[in-house]
Amino acid sequence: MFNKKQSELSGLVITYAFLGFGLIFMVFPYVWMLLASFKIPAEIYNRFLPTQFTLEHYRMLFSLGATGSTNPFVRSIFNSLVVSSIATISVVFFGAITGYALARIVFPGRTLLNNFILFQMLFPTVLFLIPRFLLMLELGWINTFQGMFSPFMISAWAIFLFTQFFKTVPQELIDAARLDGCSELKIVFKIMLPLSKSVTIIVAIFTFMGMWDEFLWYLIVTKDYNLMPLSVLLGLFTRGEYSSYPGIQTAGATLLTLPILVLFFVFRKFFTEGISMTGLKG
Amino acid sequence: MKKSKTFKIQERRIYRFVGCGLVAPYIIYTIIFWVYPFIWGLIISFKKWNIISPEKEFIGISNFLKVIHDPLFWISFKNTLFFMIVYVPMVIICSLVVALLLRRIKFLQAFFASGYLMSYVSAGVAYSIVFNLLFSGDGLINVWLSNLGITIPWFSSPKIAMASIAIIVVWKYLGYYSLIFLAGLQSIPTSLYESAEIDGVSNWTQFWRITVPLLNPAFMIILIFAVMLSFNIFTEPYMITGGGPLDSTQTFVMQIYHQTFTALHAGYGSSFAIVVAIISFSFVFVIRKMVERDISY
Repeated sequence: MFNKKQSELSGLVITYAFLGFGLIFMVFPYVWMLLASFKIPAEIYNRFLPTQFTLEHYRMLFSLGATGSTNPFVRSIFNSLVVSSIATISVVFFGAITGYALARIVFPGRTLLNNFILFQMLFPTVLFLIPRFLLMLELGWINTFQGMFSPFMISAWAIFLFTQFFKTVPQELIDAARLDGCSELKIVFKIMLPLSKSVTIIVAIFTFMGMWDEFLWYLIVTKDYNLMPLSVLLGLFTRGEYSSYPGIQTAGATLLTLPILVLFFVFRKFFTEGISMTGLKG
Repeated sequence: MKKSKTFKIQERRIYRFVGCGLVAPYIIYTIIFWVYPFIWGLIISFKKWNIISPEKEFIGISNFLKVIHDPLFWISFKNTLFFMIVYVPMVIICSLVVALLLRRIKFLQAFFASGYLMSYVSAGVAYSIVFNLLFSGDGLINVWLSNLGITIPWFSSPKIAMASIAIIVVWKYLGYYSLIFLAGLQSIPTSLYESAEIDGVSNWTQFWRITVPLLNPAFMIILIFAVMLSFNIFTEPYMITGGGPLDSTQTFVMQIYHQTFTALHAGYGSSFAIVVAIISFSFVFVIRKMVERDISY
């Protein structure tokens, strides 16, 4: 008996040791990135821990502009925020009202729409890249904010999640609200959303993260440095003017990573929950 | 009684309208940004068009034939397969091991789970920059390896560049897939293991006879995600290698991007995208047929 307990304990110690060892590998690139962005150039490649700190890379990033007078990097953070926020609000808003109708109201064509949403999720985005770009040309939306976010304003995935969750809300609550004279929109936003807080947060953070990280679409529809989101501006500068300035590159990478990392630490419970949900759905 | 019935019918009619009204934005949006581009993409794939000129000549299936005869199409195909051969087994083994370890612990489980998930939230551009520098010829990894007397030309050797990209993508998705596996593991009833234990079944046999078969849905999802991802890699090779050295990291999406937005062959790019979508669908279809099993406890 004692032996079994002892071997269980040592097994547990080994488990923690392995997990801890693996975690070092997972976190290492982040730590290196953060440190490198404060290192003097000579130490970036060959030393892990810096001997002296410098803010030079961040200063360079923010002071130098390709266009001279204006600084595109400060603008690009603002651009990323605007584009990502608009898409996030829109995905949650339309996801919630569409999901509510699909889950709780009987209307002609409901089953068809439900199936169509599942069908839509099967198609890879690569199929839409070129024709959507041509659509933006037709609309004159190249180099505009709406050109960047318009293809991401309604998400089949978000509608699907909301539909699944709204099915579990008790009908009495909806009936009572209707008797009180609540409009359907008010029911969605005053009753359904607050009752599905976790799914709302999951949809919002995953959408925001996806928009913030998006690269290929922004690369296609933006040509003007002052309109580019941070991901594209940093990508282009890393391949171009800053290709031999690893310090500035890592400073930019840190700026691109930090907001999402903060979001992740605040909402980490919802990240893990959201992923487990996809795992169980299949 | 009668009154309430007419009220109900009337009410139902009202909600019919309300329902249609609530889904109307989705329908209109989907027609403009999904159905219309989808059809437009199909149409231009049968045309020769350079975006700028107003002329769009109908050329039948010539674009598709050109895709099949394009050496870069086959190079991208080969590179994608190479990526998959490295990426899929590596990410599945690593994330399954992490999930199995996570299942064994209670204390700090959430801490480790989110620790491993951290890499998932890194932006494509940012982690490409970081690994490009870390794995470069005189980068820190090679500085450390040189103490052991070796250096590895991660991104500069055409033989291993694609494998190096696969490794950094494993880093990004390992935690994500572990959590899917962990959710699958937690849905397996512990009573199965308990009765196996009583029957004296070894841990190894338990793993292959209970864990692996019952994890089938998780394997399925991860395989499909991983395969779809393999067909869509763009940011990492674009940022790190630009498709080189010697085209060893050219991918399908890089070709589509290049054909359409650098060479301006919109019709050709569109046919290319359709061929790639068909191939990726076939892969997913075959995997489903091969791997998917109905499970019951």
